[in-house]
Formats: sequence, structure tokens, C-alpha cells
Amino acid sequence: MGRRYSLAFLLAVMAGLAFSAIAQERANSTSATAGAAPAAAQGNATVPTATHRTTVTKSAPDAAEERALRVEGEKRFRTNCGRCHQAPPKFPSRVMATAIRHMRVRAMITDEDMRFILRYMTQ
Amino acid sequence: MANPTPQARSQHRGGEVRRFGSARGWQIACWIALAAVFSACPANQLNAQTQPDEEVTPVPLLTGSTGFITTFNGGQPDFHPIITPLVLLPIGRRWVFETRATFETDLAQVPGRSGYHGGPVQKEVEYAQLDFIANPYMTVTVGRFLTPFGIFNERLYPVWIRNLQTDPLILPIGIGPSNASTGAMIRGGFKASPKFNINYTAYFSALSTVTPVNSDRFAGGRAGIFVPAARLEIGGSFQHGLQDTRSNAFGFHAIWQPPALPLDLRTEYARSVTGSGYWAEAAYRLSQIPFHQNEFRRTQVAARMQQYFVGENAGLALRPVNEKLFECGLNYYFIDGLKVSSNYGRQFSAAGNGNIWTMALTYRFVIPLGRTGRE
Repeated sequence: MGRRYSLAFLLAVMAGLAFSAIAQERANSTSATAGAAPAAAQGNATVPTATHRTTVTKSAPDAAEERALRVEGEKRFRTNCGRCHQAPPKFPSRVMATAIRHMRVRAMITDEDMRFILRYMTQ
Repeated sequence: MANPTPQARSQHRGGEVRRFGSARGWQIACWIALAAVFSACPANQLNAQTQPDEEVTPVPLLTGSTGFITTFNGGQPDFHPIITPLVLLPIGRRWVFETRATFETDLAQVPGRSGYHGGPVQKEVEYAQLDFIANPYMTVTVGRFLTPFGIFNERLYPVWIRNLQTDPLILPIGIGPSNASTGAMIRGGFKASPKFNINYTAYFSALSTVTPVNSDRFAGGRAGIFVPAARLEIGGSFQHGLQDTRSNAFGFHAIWQPPALPLDLRTEYARSVTGSGYWAEAAYRLSQIPFHQNEFRRTQVAARMQQYFVGENAGLALRPVNEKLFECGLNYYFIDGLKVSSNYGRQFSAAGNGNIWTMALTYRFVIPLGRTGRE
């Protein structure tokens, strides 16, 4: 009986974590959409944060933003992928899209990191 | 490899096995299913923001690795060719089917014959799983999957990834008789604060006695905190057996890559009734040496210290006696995915000390199964 409740508790905690993260992500998205929410990528370079999806897919970033996205993408690529293996070369876009989906599951890369890395690896 | 084969490992887990007939197992499965259902709800609310792969259409891939590993353990040579193909089949925008198999054999000298001769080729489906990316924070996996206990089995096992070719002594702890589980799993990673990410997984495995895809009945989870700025990840694993002695296993892991250095530090500790132990590994790229940079940036030195202690249930012990193993090695990367490795290990145990020499040539391949242009 106790074990059953333990497992239920474990799952409930995880569900709670997931929902709290969703709520936080929404709050970040709202505030960042209302005003600019740039984050320092390196030095004075800035990149969009959680709302970068819209930026990445919907609008054409200017040169400075493009450079910041690339820098941030490379940083996240080395930080996440380099935890386990050497940095692979850039693959064609469709190959990279498959690989990143696989690694998202395997390495539990966050959604945000995945998008930055995919953009960096396919540009 | 230093550890027994999956088949040998499964022999340690003999004895009475309770059948998967009680309601408890189904209740656990229901909990996982419920979590999956709940996880899908926010995905609809987040709408287009959660589309996983933007405008790039992924292509099916045949990837994997191949290697030729030569080991001299106590003077006994062992030639070990291995090929591990991995098929990735993305389906739609949220699904991916992935399966990995291993084909390996041992070449050995046969008395009265010259040269080395191969035994039967061992074939094994390491995993075959269907993943559903429910939302940005959760993926649901069903099928046969690598048991997420610790970090080595899931992340570092392929020969092209590992820094030292031998398995850690504690690898079999918590991963099941064939390194994999059969059941369902939820997992994911998300940004918990601007400073750190959380990753988690919870799983349930059912009993399977079909060799070589056998699995034990257990449930467990793993959680980790990753600090990107420090490149530090720490985490822990827990597993509760639902058969035999219904024992628990737990472990801790840490990965640190100091941002200022081309250095990888990894460590893992695991404990169960079958045994306990730890390993700690460091690998350093010589890219900071100011001369012959083309050569040195491709060169990596690695070292690992590990210990194994026989568990309280000696009948199920992975190894008969306590053991200590120190290894150091050198890797040279010709190109990405193609490397040659050599390492030396000294084994200390009550059963006798010995040297282990290993040389390996490994290659990682990627073959698209379709057009690769942007669509």
C-alpha cells in the first residue's frame, strides 16, 4: 500500500513540476512579448529568450539578431551536446531535424535549447 | 568488454519471479497513462508555440556505430567486432520511432587451428520505442527502452561516445537483465529558472522472459538538475523492484565540464542488493597546447577510477569479490565520429590482480533514408 502511494506521490510531484514550468513559461512569454526580453548571449550580444520561436519562424531577424541567435545556438549546442559526446559537424537540415528530435528524447534537451540548436545547426 | 554479456548478467537474476498478475502493476501503468493524458492537455493550450520541429521536415535516418575492439585481459586476447545500427523514423510533428540493434562476436584462437575464428554472432535489439512528444515538457515513450538508471546506459554506452572502451563495473546495477525495460516511460526537460534546467524520467517495466529481450518488473525514476552556465549536471536515480526480493536500487551521478577548460568530469554511484560501487572519469582534450595544434586538438587523454563492492545478497552479486580498477587511455579523433582509442587498466581484486589493455577503432555513421534538402 505504502509503495503504491509513494509511486503516486512521485508522479504527482512530477506532474506538478511540469505544470509549474508551463505556468512559468507562459508568464515569461507574456512579459517578453509585451516588451523586449533579450538575454545576454555573449558580452553585449542579445538574443530573444523563450519567445524566440516566434522570432525564429515568423519573422526575419536583422543581422545583429541573427548573429546573436547563432552565438546563442552555438553556446547551447556545446553546452548540451558536449555533455556526452564530441561536437558533430553540421548535417543537412532534414537530417539535423531528425537528430535533434532523437536527442530531445534521449538527452532531455529543453524545448528552447532544441530550437536554438536546430537553428544553429541548420543555418 | 569488462562486464559480462547481457545473457550472463541475466543469469544473476535467477530465482522465483512473481507473475505480472496483480492489480498493482496495472495501477502503476494507469498512473503513467493518466500522466500522459494530462500532459497532452497543455499541449493543445500552448497551440502553435509547441510545434517541435518548425518548418524543417525531418527525414528517416540510419545511423549508429561500428567498432573493432581488441582487449588483452590477463594476457588473453579478445577481438571484438561490433556494429550497432540505429534507425530513426520521425512520424508527423510529434512522433518518432527509434530502434537500435547490436551485432557482435568474439574472435578467438581455436586449439589446433591457425588464426582467429569467430563464434556465433550475438544479435540483440537493444531498444525499440515509440516516442510521443506530448508537449515541450513531456515525452511519452512506450515499448522497449534503455533503462534510465544513472547516465552510462542511456547516454554513454555507444562505442563512439565512450571515452574508455570498458564498461563501468557497476553498469549492470539498475538497468535490468538486458540493459532495457519493457513498458512505458514519461520523461522531459524544462527550464525551471533562468539559471537551471530540470530533467526527469519515470518508468514502469513489465516482466519479459523472452531472450534476448527479457526484462524485469520494476518501476523507477531519475531526476537531474543542469546548470548551463557552470555546465554542471547532478542527479539521482531510484528503482523499486516488483518481483523476487522487491528490493530497491538507487544512484547518483554528476557531469561537469568547466567552461574554461576542454575537460569532461563524470562520476556515478549506484547501490543495490546485488552490489554497489562508483566510477569517476576525467577526459581532457589537449587543444590548449600551443604547438602542433592540428594534432593535439584531436587528442584526448582519459582516466577512470572505479570500485565495486559485493552486495548484501551475495547470491545475486554481479561479481564474486570486491574489485578495484584504474584505467587511463588516449583517444585520437581523425574526423568527427572516427577515432582510435587505447587504454590500459590495472585490476585489483581478491581473485587476483591483472592488466587490461584495450585498443579500439570506432566509427559513427549517419545515412539519410530520403532527400536531405530543406523542405
